[in-house]
Amino acid sequence: MATLLAVSALAQIQFPELTGRVVDEANLLTPAKEAEISGMLRVHEEATGNQVVVVTVQSLQDRTIEEYTVELGRFWGIGQEDRDNGVLLLVAPNERQVRIEVGYGLEGLLTDARASVIIQNEIIPAFRTGNRVKGIVDGVRGILAALEQEADTVSGVAPEKQKFALPPVIIFFIFILIIMSFLSFGRSSRRYSRSSRGWSSGGGFSGSSSGGFSGGGGSFGGGGSSGSW
Amino acid sequence: MISLIFGKLRSPLLLVGFAFVLTACDINAVPKFDEQVNAAWSQVENQYQRRADLVPNLVATVQGFATQEREVLQNVVEARAKVGQMQIPANILQNPDALKMFEQNQGALSSALSRLLVVVERYPDLKSNQNFLTLQSQLEGTENRIAVARRDYIAAVRDYNTELRTIPGKWIAAWLYPEAEIKPTFTATTDNADQAPVVNFNSGS
Repeated sequence: MATLLAVSALAQIQFPELTGRVVDEANLLTPAKEAEISGMLRVHEEATGNQVVVVTVQSLQDRTIEEYTVELGRFWGIGQEDRDNGVLLLVAPNERQVRIEVGYGLEGLLTDARASVIIQNEIIPAFRTGNRVKGIVDGVRGILAALEQEADTVSGVAPEKQKFALPPVIIFFIFILIIMSFLSFGRSSRRYSRSSRGWSSGGGFSGSSSGGFSGGGGSFGGGGSSGSW
Repeated sequence: MISLIFGKLRSPLLLVGFAFVLTACDINAVPKFDEQVNAAWSQVENQYQRRADLVPNLVATVQGFATQEREVLQNVVEARAKVGQMQIPANILQNPDALKMFEQNQGALSSALSRLLVVVERYPDLKSNQNFLTLQSQLEGTENRIAVARRDYIAAVRDYNTELRTIPGKWIAAWLYPEAEIKPTFTATTDNADQAPVVNFNSGS
């Protein structure tokens, strides 16, 4: 059904392409800042598996920011499919609106109230003074802090991990596969560089060691918070 | 078994149709879409329940600050009680009247809540109360989840009904799933039934 929805949404809304963890369609960030934020998000994903993506858009195409963001998150499939652990920070400078969209699996950590506090205390004050870069960076820090700080204390994430623990035989098998793939990549380095560079959307979950990034098929149910300035 | 089927389908045209259906189409499409509708509906009920659970806290918090607004608060409490008392029949998805009743009651709570959030604007102390701000953001988030769940439900019903009305789904349903019926979906009949209470963050600061 998720794909059907994405297709029907696609027919009406033109979404930007998922070119990385930061998609700066409205050009609010310098390339250096973009890389810095991207790095923070990659480190977080490597540690927790949570996919956090920052988006700035030129236009909400006459949708409410809530509708636009949830459809965009589903279209890109941010978050892992079995955990729905994606977060979108969407900034629409022309409509002067901002939203944090939280995937089903993270609604317990990044609650609506917490998302609202981040928007009201971190993002909007900076946006009001015209400092959009600071607002975005502080907003990302707030989101990551919420996801990381409480992951230690709040139960619910850790038990799930144990539930999906792989038996040793399978781990050994995967290990062998990885070694084999490294050997074959070593033989032809050209293929390696090509395969690791392409950005794509909707594909399988990736994003550990290689630079490539794509959504893992996660879904959203409308959790999060919005604000305007 | 085979002789039974062939006994029924004497017309060669139907036989060709049947073969076409079996090879080219998903004969499980109808129950699959049906399950998607059920799942989408559970989410709708779930999110409405979440909102109903927030109301007592919200009312208690507002009561402490806005003692004069007894009538508005009373409306919210009554609408909440009506939602709580409503028995949702198991066959609500086959029953347009029950669905309409459900929607009317939830719509009444929506408009009572939106009136409450309007009068709250007159109480600066309340608007800066941390507990209230938390509840307000939760309510806003829940209203948005309801909107998403309703859209998903409408989309799931559209897929299901389209399958039942178009060929070959229509034939498959007639042969294999005779109990399948067109399902009712949401209509925006009551005032503001499709609108979440407006929560304006701008006006305070």
